[in-house]
Amino acid sequence: MSADQIVFWVFAPISIGSAIAILLQRNAVHAALFLIVNFFTIAVFYLVLEAPFLFAVQIIVYAGAIMVLFLFVIMLLGVDRDEVLTERIPWQRPAAILIGIGVFAELVVAIRAGVGFSAKGPEAFAETANRGGNTEALARALFRDYFLPFEATSVLLIVAAVAAMMLAARHRRAITPAEQEALAAEPEMAEVAP
Amino acid sequence: MTEAVWLVPALPLLGFVVNLFAGRRLGRAAGWLGTLAVGAAAAIAVAVGLDVLAQPAEERTTVVHLFDWIRAGAFTVNVDLRVDQLSVLMILVVTVVGALIHLYAIGYMEGDPRFGRFFAYLNLFVFFMLLLVLAENLLVLYVGWEGVGLCSYLLIGFWFERTAAANAAKKAFVTTRIGDTFMLVGIALVFLRLGSLDLSTVLDPAIEGVQPSGVFTVIALLLFGGAIGKSAQVPLHVWLPDAMEGPTPVSALIHAATMVTAGVYLVVRTHLFFEISGVALIVVLVVGLVTALYAALSALGQDDIKRVLAYSTVSQLGFMFMAAGMRAYSVAMFMLAAHACYKALLFLSAGSVMHGTHDETDLKRMGGLRRRMPWTAGVAVLGALSLAGVFGLAGYFAKDEILVVASETGRTAVWLLGTLGALLSALYIGRLVFLTFLGDARSAEAEHAHESPTVMLVPLVVLAVGAVGLGVLMLDPDTGLVPTFLEPVLGAVPHGSAGVGSAALIVISQVVALGGLGVTWLAYASGRVDWLALRLRAAPLQRFLSQGMHVDDVYASVVVAPAKAGSAFLAYVVDARLVDGIVNAVGRLVQGLAGVGRRVQTGLVRTYALAFLVGALALLVYVGVRA
Amino acid sequence: MTTPIAYFLVVSAALFTIGTVGVMVRRNALVIFMSVELQLNGVNLALVAFSRLHGNLTGQVLTFFSMVVAAAEVVVGLAIIVYVFRRRRTANVDDLAVLRW
Repeated sequence: MSADQIVFWVFAPISIGSAIAILLQRNAVHAALFLIVNFFTIAVFYLVLEAPFLFAVQIIVYAGAIMVLFLFVIMLLGVDRDEVLTERIPWQRPAAILIGIGVFAELVVAIRAGVGFSAKGPEAFAETANRGGNTEALARALFRDYFLPFEATSVLLIVAAVAAMMLAARHRRAITPAEQEALAAEPEMAEVAP
Repeated sequence: MTEAVWLVPALPLLGFVVNLFAGRRLGRAAGWLGTLAVGAAAAIAVAVGLDVLAQPAEERTTVVHLFDWIRAGAFTVNVDLRVDQLSVLMILVVTVVGALIHLYAIGYMEGDPRFGRFFAYLNLFVFFMLLLVLAENLLVLYVGWEGVGLCSYLLIGFWFERTAAANAAKKAFVTTRIGDTFMLVGIALVFLRLGSLDLSTVLDPAIEGVQPSGVFTVIALLLFGGAIGKSAQVPLHVWLPDAMEGPTPVSALIHAATMVTAGVYLVVRTHLFFEISGVALIVVLVVGLVTALYAALSALGQDDIKRVLAYSTVSQLGFMFMAAGMRAYSVAMFMLAAHACYKALLFLSAGSVMHGTHDETDLKRMGGLRRRMPWTAGVAVLGALSLAGVFGLAGYFAKDEILVVASETGRTAVWLLGTLGALLSALYIGRLVFLTFLGDARSAEAEHAHESPTVMLVPLVVLAVGAVGLGVLMLDPDTGLVPTFLEPVLGAVPHGSAGVGSAALIVISQVVALGGLGVTWLAYASGRVDWLALRLRAAPLQRFLSQGMHVDDVYASVVVAPAKAGSAFLAYVVDARLVDGIVNAVGRLVQGLAGVGRRVQTGLVRTYALAFLVGALALLVYVGVRA
Repeated sequence: MTTPIAYFLVVSAALFTIGTVGVMVRRNALVIFMSVELQLNGVNLALVAFSRLHGNLTGQVLTFFSMVVAAAEVVVGLAIIVYVFRRRRTANVDDLAVLRW
C-alpha cells in the first residue's frame, strides 16, 4: 500500500460522507460547513493527482471565498432556521433517489467501458506535463494556448461583479409611515428592509 | 325605340335602388319617385308599342341583346329581351296598371313608418315582372318568376309585426315554391330534350319533330305546374286568400293584375308545347274549369271584403286558363288585361273603403257607404258590373267570349259549367257591392266613414274607364284590334258552329249576369229579404264555403303537420342533441385533456429539475447503448 | 501514483450524483445552490483525473476556468437569491411557484 493509496482510501469516504451529510442537514449553516469539508477532501485529491496549484486554488477560492460568501448570505438573510422535513411534492424523493442511482450506474458503466478499472496513467507525469513545476507548466499552457479564454474570463468576472452590485443594491426611497410602524414592530427586519 | 326597351325594366330597378338607400330621407317623395319610375316605364312601353305597330305584321318580333350571362360549354344563356306583340301587351298592362296603383299607394300608405321601403319593394316587383314578360330565355324568365315570388313574400309580410301577415307570406312563398320546382324541372327538360332555352329556338313550330309528343306533354305539364302555383289554381290556390294580409295596393298589383297572371302568360307563351301535346291542353282546361267553379262558390261564403276578391281572382284566372285550354289565347290575354283593370279597381275600392272605415273589412259591418263615399261607390259598382259581364263593359267581351268559344267548339259541358260560373260570379260580386255600399250602415265605422283623398281617387277613376271601355279593343274575336294584333304570335281564335247560336248566347249570358245581380240586390239591398236570418239558417254551408271547403285544413293535417314533426325531430333531436352533442363533446374532450395536461406546469423548480434529469438520464442511456 | 484513475472517477461520479439528488430534494435555495457547487466540484475532480490519465495539462486548465466561472456564478446567483428574498421574504423555492396553472 503506497502513500497515495492510503490517502485515497482515507479521504474518499470522508468526501462522500460529507457530501451525503450536506443532503441530510436541516440547518443550512451545517450544510455549508460540510461542504467546506468536502472541498478540503477534493483539494487533497488534487494533490494526489499531482496538481498542487489547483490544490491551493481550491482551498483559497472555493473554501476560502465562495463558501465564506455563502455563509455570509445565509447569515444575512437569516435562513439558517431549520427546514421542515416533510416533503410536499409526492414522489419527489423516491424519483430523485432513483434518478441518482441511475446516473451513478450509468457513469460507472461508462467509466468501465471507457477507461477501465486498471488504467493508471503515465509514470513520468512530473517530467513531461509538470516540467518546471506544476505552476510554471500551467502558466505556460494558460498564457500561450488558452490566452483568449483567459481574457474572456476576466471580462466575465467584471460583468459578474457589476451584475451582483446592481442586483443587490438597495434603492433608497422615502420610508412611509406604514413601513415605519412595521419596522418598529419587527426591528430585526431593519437590515433587510428596502 | 325598340332598342331602348331595356329602359322599361331598368327604370323601376333604378327606383328600387334609390328608394332602398335614400327612402327614409325622401319621405313622401319616395312615393312620387316610385310612381314616376313606373310611369316613365309606361311611357316608354307605349313608345315601344307604337314602334311595333309601325312595323309590318310579320316583322314585329325583335330580340334585343343585352349581355351574355352564362357560358358553360354547350350551355349558354344570354340576357335578351323579346319584343313582340304578346310581350308588348304585357308590359303595357303591367306598367300602366302598376303606375296607377303606385299613385294610389302614395295616399293609402301615408304615415306608414316604412313608407320608402314599400315603394322600393313595389318597384322591385315591377322590375321582376317586366323581366319575366320580356325574357327571351326561359332561364331569365325563371329569374323574373322567382323575383316576383320574392317580392310577393316581402310585400305580403310588409307589416311583419303581425303574426298573421308573416305566416301568410311564408305560406305564399312555400306554396308557390312547390309549383316553381315543377317548373324548374320543366325548364331543365326543355334544355335537355330541345337543346336550348331561347324562345326563338324552342317556340319554332319546327321543334315538333325533335322529340316525341310525350316529351312535350311532360314539359307542358311541368311548366303548367309552375303556373298552378303562381296563378293560384287548384290545388295550390291556398295562399292567395291569406295573402290579403298584405296592404291593399299589394293585393291589387300583385294578386290581381300582374303576378298571378304570370302563369297565364307562361302557358300562352309556350302554347306550342301544349298544342303538340294535346293532353296538356285538356288538363289546363279542366284545372281552369274546376278552379273557376270552386273559387266562385267559396267567394260566395266569404265575409271579408278582400277575401271575396281574392277568391274571385282565383276564379277569374280559372276562366283565363279555360280559354287557353280551348286554344283561344287572344281571348285569354284580353281577359287578362280587362281583369287587371276591373279587379285592380275593385281591390283599390276595397282599400278605399277600408281607409274610410278605419280598416274595417267585415261585410256584415258595412252598409250604406254610397252616401259617405260616393266616388268610391260609383267606380266600384262599375267594376262589379264589368266583372259580372254586363253587356258593353270590358268584362263582357272577355268572359262571355270564352263561353262563346266553348259553345261553338262543341264543348257543351264546359259551356254549361262556365255559365254556372258566370252566374256565381255575378252573385258574389253583387253581394259584395250591395252589402258594402247600399242599405243602411250597420256599424259605427260605416256611419262615420269618409271619402278617400284625391291621390287615391284618380287611379280609381282611370281604372274605371279601362274597366268600362277596354272592350272597344275586342269587339269581335276575328276583327277586333287585340286579336288581330296578337294573331301572328298566338294564332286565331277557334270558331265553330255548334251550340245554340250567337244571339241566344248573348241573351243567356245577360240573363245570367243581370239575373245574378238582381237576386243579390233583392237579397241584400232592397230590404225585402232578411238576409241575416237566411244566413243563420244556412250557417253550416256558409262556414263550409268560407273555409274554402276545408282544403287548407286538409293540407294542414296531411302535409304541414308531418313536415313540422319531421323538422322538429331534426331540430331538437338531431341538431340539438346529436350534432351539438358531438361538438360539445369535442370541446369537453379538449377541456379534459387540457385539464390533465396543465398540471405539468407546477411552478415548482424542483419538479422541473426532476424532469430535466429524467430526460438527461434517458439521453445518457441512449448514448451509452449506442456506443 | 499507484491508484487506478478509475477510482477517482468513481468518486467524482458519486459526488456528482449526490449533488444532483440534492438539487431535487432540498427546498432551501441556498442549499440547492450548494448542491450545484458540489456537482461542479465533482466534474472538476474528473477533469483533473483525466488530465493525469492522459499526461497533459488540458484538464487542469479546464478546471481552472471552471473554478473562475463557478465563482462568478456564485456571486450572481447569491445576488439573485438576496433580491428574491427581499421581495418575497422566503428562500424556500416551493414558495416561488407563481408561473403555474
